[in-house]
Amino acid sequence: MPDEGIDRVSLPIRRPPFAGATKRTLEGSVPDWNQASHVQPPEGAPNVLLVLIDDAGFGNPSTFGGPIQTPNYTRLADNGLRYNRFHVTALCSPTRAALLTGRNHHRVGFGMVGEFSGPFPGYNATIPRDCAPFPRIMQENGYLTGGFGKWHLTPDNQQGFSGPFDRWPTRLGFDYFWGFLGGEAGQYDPLIAENQKIIGVPEAEDGEQYYFQDDLAEKTIDWLHRVRSEKPKTPWFAYVATGCSHAPHHVPRKWSDKYRGAFDRGWDVMREETFARQKALGVVPADAQLSPRNDAFPTWDSLDETHKRLYARQMEVYAGYSENADWNIGRIIDAVDEIGELENTVVIWIWGDNGASMEGTLTGTFNELTTLNGIPLTPEQQIGLLFKHGGLEAWGDEQLAPHYSAGWAWAGNAPFDWGKQVASHLGGTRNPLVVHWPSRIDDAGAVRSHYTHVTDVGATILDLAGIPMPDSIDGVEQQPFDGVTFADSFADATAPERHTQQYYEILGNRGMYKDGWLLAQRLRRIPWDLDPEKLRTFGPGWNPDDEPVELYYLPDDFTQSRNIAADHPEKVRELSELFWEEAERNHVLPLLGGLTSFFGIVPPIPEESKFVFRGDIQNVPSGMIPRIYNHSYTISADLVVPEGGAEGVIVAEADHLGGFALFVQDGKLKHTYSMLGVLEYTHAAEQPLPTGEVNVELVFTADAPKPATGGEVTLLVNGEPVASGRMEHTVPGRFSGYSGMDIGRDNGLVVDRSYADKAPFAFTGEIKQVIFDIAPHMSEEDAKALHVHAAQALAMHAASA
Amino acid sequence: MSDDQPLDVLIAVYLIPDLAQKDFDEYVKLAGDGKIVTDGVALVVKDAQGEVQVKETGDHLGRKGVKGGAGVGLVVGLFAPPLLAATVVGAAAGALAGKFARHRMQAGIGEKMDDALPPGSAGIIAIYEHDGANTVAGALANAIRTSTAQIDKASADELKAGLAEASAGLAG
Repeated sequence: MPDEGIDRVSLPIRRPPFAGATKRTLEGSVPDWNQASHVQPPEGAPNVLLVLIDDAGFGNPSTFGGPIQTPNYTRLADNGLRYNRFHVTALCSPTRAALLTGRNHHRVGFGMVGEFSGPFPGYNATIPRDCAPFPRIMQENGYLTGGFGKWHLTPDNQQGFSGPFDRWPTRLGFDYFWGFLGGEAGQYDPLIAENQKIIGVPEAEDGEQYYFQDDLAEKTIDWLHRVRSEKPKTPWFAYVATGCSHAPHHVPRKWSDKYRGAFDRGWDVMREETFARQKALGVVPADAQLSPRNDAFPTWDSLDETHKRLYARQMEVYAGYSENADWNIGRIIDAVDEIGELENTVVIWIWGDNGASMEGTLTGTFNELTTLNGIPLTPEQQIGLLFKHGGLEAWGDEQLAPHYSAGWAWAGNAPFDWGKQVASHLGGTRNPLVVHWPSRIDDAGAVRSHYTHVTDVGATILDLAGIPMPDSIDGVEQQPFDGVTFADSFADATAPERHTQQYYEILGNRGMYKDGWLLAQRLRRIPWDLDPEKLRTFGPGWNPDDEPVELYYLPDDFTQSRNIAADHPEKVRELSELFWEEAERNHVLPLLGGLTSFFGIVPPIPEESKFVFRGDIQNVPSGMIPRIYNHSYTISADLVVPEGGAEGVIVAEADHLGGFALFVQDGKLKHTYSMLGVLEYTHAAEQPLPTGEVNVELVFTADAPKPATGGEVTLLVNGEPVASGRMEHTVPGRFSGYSGMDIGRDNGLVVDRSYADKAPFAFTGEIKQVIFDIAPHMSEEDAKALHVHAAQALAMHAASA
Repeated sequence: MSDDQPLDVLIAVYLIPDLAQKDFDEYVKLAGDGKIVTDGVALVVKDAQGEVQVKETGDHLGRKGVKGGAGVGLVVGLFAPPLLAATVVGAAAGALAGKFARHRMQAGIGEKMDDALPPGSAGIIAIYEHDGANTVAGALANAIRTSTAQIDKASADELKAGLAEASAGLAG
């Protein structure tokens, strides 16, 4: 299709008018091959590789002075540009939503994460059709588009086989998607989605342990090779979002061992040394001062020797994990280079979506799901459970789902204070950005200090590609981008700074930036404190304007270190009023609209309480399993056991760090329930299962419908009890952040390690059906009370996802 | 050891082996200085590959690396003869094997320690007169968990009971 005359502001692009002629027969008919052609991007449009690293801070990569070696990031920066005043939203999904739509996160329903779809426009986790993501615009303009890795923009309860699919990547602009839909994945056992289907837990083909980041690079390269074999010249757009450096911090030991001893002097020293290197590199102004020490984090010298060694190992693993991400992205860049296209490929690489995460609490944790379920563990308990699950040597292995201490996150966000979730402070909002485009950037290695925001990326890419912002897509009038292009700053250091005003808000933490001034109001809640009682203090009756106010002038104070609110009351008032205006315009209101369940606003109680699984159903996403939490339930299975007996898993959810399995081993019915690796309960029949048609049942009779309730477990075979026992505590919110449920097997990491050597331990008989009844004999009042808790638990999880 | 002094049987576990070594050295020094009265102490290490070995022992006189048969103490005998033979006791273990294998079998502490320790960790087992409990607690400062049982005298049966109780105390 010829470029001239194409209407690119009304998408999809219409077929051009027929310029030939038709007669009754071919005789005299004039062909017009444009009728059979496809739209192409504007002449000269470059390839675009957009990379997003997860849960990392400004002071993490060596490219920006950090202690983590990132040679690939550095080689791009040295041949491209470092942007040292680039900003994100301070939380996972919100940043991704803002990045891909070019609009403010609340305006596209992502004031919170995809796990929690709330009842207000700014928090419904549903990208509106009038805010189409820019990849959709590129796709409709002829780009080849591929998305790889973490997505986190599909509502938690829409990730299954029944859809709806309109918020899956393939319906939001990607020709092809491979990755995971949720907020996190185990790097050894992710649950993978490809295009519009969950395809399962992958296994390495060469006998080595599977590793997601390696596969992520290979899948991206494979896609590139395939599209290039078919369309050698059509520009492509690839979005690669790593699962790293989000928890669980998983990396093979050869990566983490490179850092043995590197962090023995602790986070206070790491912070100071990072700051010195940042100044030497020029990514931090020479006259800047390190933000003041934050007493929320213990001084390294105050720790005992065991904790120093434990925490140092946590950071060694995080560093190795992050360096591996750099290495794998480097492989993708090498592949682009090998096909001769690096020269005209714009690489936009953002190191972190919300600053480094402090959600590991001060101690770090052997299993991040304990935090997300609101289970507080003392330092002694954490160490004891680490000891139980493999010890310090296991940190980074599949035995654990670890997250490091918040102290490392704080240091990783140097020179700024705070981090993820804290939208009022640069530790949560300012992340490294590197841009690489050899054919257009002739100021290689320079630092750009334009105030830029994640919403600017889409506008910039469209600008580079020569694609206009469409008025409408599919007949739906489009809202304008909030972001603005900074493309001209690639070639011109003196290009004007266009992003002069930006609000920030995550979980009540607020910021209002305008012309260098930043008003900051941090909620009086430490990010890892998810105590419901604490959260409720911000409910009805709370006056947000009573929260402490800080004011900074960033052109003179790069690190947000000098609070000058007392000297400028009029500026405080002006920015405060501006914040409320912006909040209203962008659907930020009501504040904390993403945590409504803590304030009594919960979704309607689902009518379904019985779920029947027939046939070979595997890999049910963790957010979509029957909600057996906090009340009585039964799991009943109709089996056919052949002569000679059967063995294997009847049904299993997640793994040994949280999950349950009903299985047959040594001919006997067994049940294992892992309360997040903190407690484990097992129940086993003494007699073998009979052969023929057999009904087995697990009955959990809760003490009371309440969070984490204890209760009695009974196993029955053909209606007769065969085993019983007690579970003192059960999982209140969620077994896993990513691991799915399987009928007839236990995919991925297993729940009960006694059958790990036979994994996935497929059932050798026949399973006719498995029936979950999640509301047996529950009163309406109890059902309502539990529903409130379930919503709160989900929100609690979401707050840290 | 005096007959009328109750004895403490202590098991301590460590996340970091060299911190266990440090505490072990401190304990042995206390014994050597006469600040505690001990029947013996053993440092058990499980390496990164999951192999358990008795890395060091100390006797009632605070001597490290037992060289002779006498004065080895009950603690040293808690472990399988091959384990001892392979590590610090060396050839001297032969004479002791018969005597202490019985205790090991009764107490099963070798297996218990093997089960309790993850790869890359360590444990200390010690028997000492109860009067020194506070001093010992101060010396084993780097233990992430300790459990102590009290027995009346350093006999095999008493030790068996004490170890069982101390082992149970490590759980949870």
